[in-house]
Amino acid sequence: MRLFVYGVIALLALSCSSGKKPDEQAFLESLDSTKTAGPGVDEEVINSILDQIPSPLEISLLLKESGSKYNPELLNSTNNLPKYNSNYRKALNLGVYGTDLGYTNIYGQNQDGIKYISSIKSLADDLNIGQFFDVETIGRLATNSKNLDSLLLITTLNFNHINHYLQSQRRDNLSVLLLTGGWLEAMQITCQAAAKNPSNKELQEKIGEQKIILEQILLLFSFYESDENMASLHADLEQLKAAFDKININYTYKESTMEIVNGVAVIKDNSTTTIDITPQNVEEIKNLTNSIRNKIIS
Amino acid sequence: MKNILFAFLFTSSLAVSSTDIVDQCDSDNLANSCIPKLASGFNFLKSYKVDGIAKEKVEYSYVFTKGTQYMINVCANGTSTDGIVVSIFDKERNKVATSKINGQFISAIAYPCNATGIYYIQYTFDEPSAHCGGSALGFKR
Repeated sequence: MRLFVYGVIALLALSCSSGKKPDEQAFLESLDSTKTAGPGVDEEVINSILDQIPSPLEISLLLKESGSKYNPELLNSTNNLPKYNSNYRKALNLGVYGTDLGYTNIYGQNQDGIKYISSIKSLADDLNIGQFFDVETIGRLATNSKNLDSLLLITTLNFNHINHYLQSQRRDNLSVLLLTGGWLEAMQITCQAAAKNPSNKELQEKIGEQKIILEQILLLFSFYESDENMASLHADLEQLKAAFDKININYTYKESTMEIVNGVAVIKDNSTTTIDITPQNVEEIKNLTNSIRNKIIS
Repeated sequence: MKNILFAFLFTSSLAVSSTDIVDQCDSDNLANSCIPKLASGFNFLKSYKVDGIAKEKVEYSYVFTKGTQYMINVCANGTSTDGIVVSIFDKERNKVATSKINGQFISAIAYPCNATGIYYIQYTFDEPSAHCGGSALGFKR
């Protein structure tokens, strides 16, 4: 309940502090192409791509396990919230803050987490998807790191519901922006952590593996070329892809073996991937990711 | 904690059932019922509806990453898997895992991934009269 009160206070504070006259606000919104209907891409096609992209929380969990220390300076400050005055920026930063909330949760930083919950609720309300965010429940789960699985459950199911809702309203481009914002933030955090731990090969490989995810995200963006904002972000992401293209992911298939252990089919995966990535590759990807992210959050 | 999970699943299933037209296969509820059945230590990632009525197979895809262990389970009406088989194929369509081993239907697969890439999670039906179920995917490091 206290969280809800915080959310309301934050919303009231925002509506009072934006300082924009109604006409100015209306003008800004009229410039926002993302507010209007998307191209109505086949829901099944979009879903099949969205569904295969892992949650950014997976990467955040790896970061903690790799020994990286919690660093709130890597996250997008909630003070930036008033800057997000278009649906395009709101959707992207809703994804960014979602990843930041997961990061604070994994490291058990409850006070920081509460700030993100308020900002998430505010952006979601502005995008008319606030009904999918049960602030009280998310707050309870997000402020206890033992509840990671529940937080993942709620965020994943929420995303599915939001996605379905936005598609029914022909606003599926917002789903893509949500996901892209979340991914870019996770990338940025991982790249910064990798730069601080240059000997950590696993983190470097994790960055290299994101080549596969970026290819899927670019596939999604290809459906929205008529949207000016998305076309611009698409161009930036293509530059990032050019950096990823220097990384080779080599796959070798070898038949798996299986056995039944306590009623579970336990597989031994004999296939392998090797990822050829250098510290220079990581540096280039980090700089490009940071540049795109800065455009989004500032 | 489990209470929160169940309460959430219950309310979401209510929300879904009130808005969707009731169909023959309640794969939504079956998928939700699979989530708490993931083995201890696995974090929930996705739930999948396995509505195979008038279909030979149902397929989803997901990016699995090296060094992560995944678990996929199958739920059907009743306690068994009702002949639903879940198999995992790599990007080249090589079968890397299946829940049907030596003619036995297993309700869950544990897959410690050694090769990052897009994988296809495919559900097929060995029982002609039972093409309806749900499934959940979890991970642990």
